[in-house]
Amino acid sequence: MSRLLVIEDGDEYAEFARVFLTDLEVTAAHSAADAIEALRTHGADALLIDLRFDRAPPSALVGDVESTAARLFGGDCERARRYLQDEQGTLILADVRAAGFALPALFVHDFPPRRLANLRRLYGDVTAVPSLDAATIRRALGGSP
Amino acid sequence: MLAACTAGGDRAWQSAEQLWQRRDPGAFAAWQKLDPSTANGARAHAALTRADAEYRRGIALLADEDPQARQVLESAAKRAPLDPELYLPLARAYRRRGLDERAAAMYEKFLAQASPSPEAEAARRELAALNDALGMPFEPPRATPATAWSPLWLVPLVVVALALAGWMAARRRGRRTSLAKLSAEHPELQPAIAFLVGCLRHEFFKHRILAVGDAVRAVACGDLAESERRFLLMRLFGGEALAVAWAGHLGAFMRVLGPRFDLVRLDPDFADASRDIAAIAASEAALSRGDADAARRVLAGQQRLAAFDATLARLALGLQHTIVDGALLSELAADVKRELGTAAVEIIVTPPVSAIAVESYRFDLALVIRNVLRNAVVAAAKGPAPARVAVDADVSLEPTGDEVLRLRVRDSNPESVPPAAELAEARGLALIRAALQRCDGSLSVEPGADGFAKCVVIRLFCALHDATEAA
Repeated sequence: MSRLLVIEDGDEYAEFARVFLTDLEVTAAHSAADAIEALRTHGADALLIDLRFDRAPPSALVGDVESTAARLFGGDCERARRYLQDEQGTLILADVRAAGFALPALFVHDFPPRRLANLRRLYGDVTAVPSLDAATIRRALGGSP
Repeated sequence: MLAACTAGGDRAWQSAEQLWQRRDPGAFAAWQKLDPSTANGARAHAALTRADAEYRRGIALLADEDPQARQVLESAAKRAPLDPELYLPLARAYRRRGLDERAAAMYEKFLAQASPSPEAEAARRELAALNDALGMPFEPPRATPATAWSPLWLVPLVVVALALAGWMAARRRGRRTSLAKLSAEHPELQPAIAFLVGCLRHEFFKHRILAVGDAVRAVACGDLAESERRFLLMRLFGGEALAVAWAGHLGAFMRVLGPRFDLVRLDPDFADASRDIAAIAASEAALSRGDADAARRVLAGQQRLAAFDATLARLALGLQHTIVDGALLSELAADVKRELGTAAVEIIVTPPVSAIAVESYRFDLALVIRNVLRNAVVAAAKGPAPARVAVDADVSLEPTGDEVLRLRVRDSNPESVPPAAELAEARGLALIRAALQRCDGSLSVEPGADGFAKCVVIRLFCALHDATEAA
C-alpha cells in the first residue's frame, strides 16, 4: 500500500483522502517541522500539500515575516504575513526538499502553467490538480515517477 | 461499479448528439436528460452550461450592436444546443440589428414550440411585421385557436397587457448586469471584488460544493459507503447551513458593492447559482436516504456550479493584468519630459527583453511609474550635468514559484538623500501607496550603480497566467 503524507493547516484534505483514497495509507502533518519529522520517522511515497495556511499560527509558518516585508512589501509586515500564509504550501515544500526528501508532491490548486513550471524548476516532482476529485488525484499521484 | 451505472448512458448520448447534428429542436431537451453521473452526460451538462452563458452573452452583445456578438454566438453553437427559451430573445436581438431574415427564422422556431400566450401572440405580430418588410406573405407557423367568440373589446386590453409586459421586460433588461461588467466600470472596486471572489471560491466552492463529487456520484450509482455518506452529509450539510454560508458571501459582496447591486437579482450567473445551491441545500434528506435521482440532480447542479466557479476564476485573473514593455516605459518617460519641460535631463529606457505581464491595474501602474520618474527627473535636473535618469527592469523567481518584476529608476544627482525623506517628498505619495497596496507592490530606495547616485525600485508580482485565460 502506498503511503500519502497530507500537509495542511486543518484536516479537510486528510479527511477526504481517508474516505476516498482508501487504497492509500494516509498520515497527516500540520507544519513543515511536523512533515519532516513524519518523513524521517515513517516515510511516505507522496505528499498532498495544502497551499493556504491561514489558520496556522504565525510561529509555525515557514518564512520570516520581517525579511519578507522588507524584500517584497516595502516593510509592510501585515502584507508579508498574509503572503506567507497564502503561499505556505510551497515554502513547506522548499523545507522538505532542503531536508533531503525528493518524493512527489501534489497540490490541489489551479496554478497557472508557468507557475507550476517554476515550482518544478525549483522542487522537481510537483503536480497540481484543480479540485478534490479522487480519480484525478489518484491519476496525478500514479503519474508521478 | 461506476461503469455499470453508466452502461446505458452512451446510447442516450449518441441519440442526443444525433439530434443536435440534425439541428432538431428536441436536441436541447435530450441533452438535458442525459445522466450527469456518466462521463458523456457530465460533459454534455458542462457544455450546456457554458454554451448557455455564451448564448446569453451573445444575445446581449447583439442587442448592444457589439461586433463580438457573432463570434460569441458561433462559439456557443459549436458547443451545445440552444435553449428554446432563448429563441425569442435571439429573434428580437436579430430584428434590432436589422438581420431580418435570421430574425424571421428564429421567430418561426419559437412559434413552432410555443404554447398560446401573450408572448407568443406578440411574437406572431412581430414576425408578421418582419415578413411585411421582407415582402413575404405572413403565414403563421401555428394556427391560432378559433376566436370567433372573442369580443372586440378584448383587443385594447391585450395591447395594454403586451405594452406592460414589454415595459417590464425592458426594465429588467436595463437593470441586468454582471459582476464582470461592474468590475470593468468601477476599477476602484476591483481589488475588493478579487478578494471576495477568492474567498467564495476557496471556502464555499472548493471545500464544500466541489469536494463532494465523488460521494454524490456514489449515491447516484447506489454504491455509497458509510464513510462516504458521513463525509457527504458533513461537508454539504454540517456546520453553517449552505444557504446561510452562500448568503454570507453575497452579503459581503453587497457591503462592498453597495445595496443597489444585488448580485442575485441583477447577475444571471449568480441567480442561476443561487437556484442550484438552494436545490442542493434542499436535497439533504434525499441524499441521506440514498435517492439516486436526487443525486443525479445534485450532480447536474454541481456541474453548473463548477462552470460558474471557473468563470469566477477567469474574472479574478483578468482583473489585474498589465503589460510592462518598452512602449509603456517610453510613453511614460515622454509624458514626464513633456510635463516638466526638462530637455536637459536625458531619460534612458532599457526595456525588458520580452514584455512582462504584472498583477496590476494599468492606471495604478502608470501612476506609480510616472510619479517615481517625475521625482527622479526633478532630482537629476538639480544635480550637475550631464543630468541622467535610467529606467530598466529585471525579474526574479521567488521560492513560492512567483516571479517578481523589479523596475529600477536611477538618477544622476549625487546628493545622498535619506530614503525615507526621499520618499516622503514624492508628490502624491498617498496615491502611490494606495496604488501599490492594491497590487501588492512596493517601493524601496537602494544605492545607484554605474554612475547613478541612487535607485528607486518598484516591485510588482508578475501575472503568470496567459492573457487568454483571463478573458
